[in-house]
Amino acid sequence: MTEKCPDYVNELNDFLDGTLDAATCAEIQKHIGHCDNCRIMVDTLRQTVTLCRGGKSEPLPAALQARLDGLLKARWEQKFGRSRSQ
Amino acid sequence: MDERQLAQRAQAGDFEAFAELISAHKDRIYRLALRLSGSREDAEDIVQDAFLKAIDKIDQFRLESSFGTWLYAIALNQARALLAKRKQDDLRPIEDYLPGHQAVDIESGRSEADSPGLFEWKDPEKLFEEEELRQIINGLVAELPYKYREAFLLRYDEELSVKEIADVINESEAATKSRILRARLALREKLSEIFEERYDREMS
Repeated sequence: MTEKCPDYVNELNDFLDGTLDAATCAEIQKHIGHCDNCRIMVDTLRQTVTLCRGGKSEPLPAALQARLDGLLKARWEQKFGRSRSQ
Repeated sequence: MDERQLAQRAQAGDFEAFAELISAHKDRIYRLALRLSGSREDAEDIVQDAFLKAIDKIDQFRLESSFGTWLYAIALNQARALLAKRKQDDLRPIEDYLPGHQAVDIESGRSEADSPGLFEWKDPEKLFEEEELRQIINGLVAELPYKYREAFLLRYDEELSVKEIADVINESEAATKSRILRARLALREKLSEIFEERYDREMS
């Protein structure tokens, strides 16, 4: 006879993000304690987010800014007319 | 002058006020576009289209709401319009990404895996140079079908709540949660393959 891992699919993300109720959380925690696959799954899913977070942030490129200055002004004048954009 | 006053002036036709509003949010919007598209060229198109669209719709902006959030939503729509139509294979159902159920023989109490064990990550930061790892990750995120990439990045990069994301992408919270989890599972699986291969190479 075999017993399957508990079905915690719907709770998985809440568990990982710490937004799951304490009782279900304890249940999953207990299962992870003796199921290697589930423990590794949970651990690597956690690391996935840590690794994907925080890419370097780049400011808007100067060339784009220069292009935008002209384009936005032109669109503005089209909409409101030249005199009102001054 | 605060944002509300600037928006009021912009709606009356003051370009300088509009430019000031845009300026306050342009770097954040560009960063979002860059992360969503994974390409500088696409990010520039998204930003440009979003700001032009903001001019077209400036009369519709409600002064009691946040200009930043409004502009953000416009940029997301532009990103979706550009990126969502690109053909990408859908992700598999959630269950397909989960480990093979580990069978436990109740009589003997012995546990017996019915699928090969999962690869345990061993300090991936030590296996790769920081920049190489960053590129791998960015590449994998960019390969996700758009709707999953969007939900994942809004949740973990932009740190919006599930409810906020559901509102901004016009989906139920359940559907939003499912997208976030599937993206996370798919990324985990691909990273795991890459780490395992590199680890094997280092060991041999």
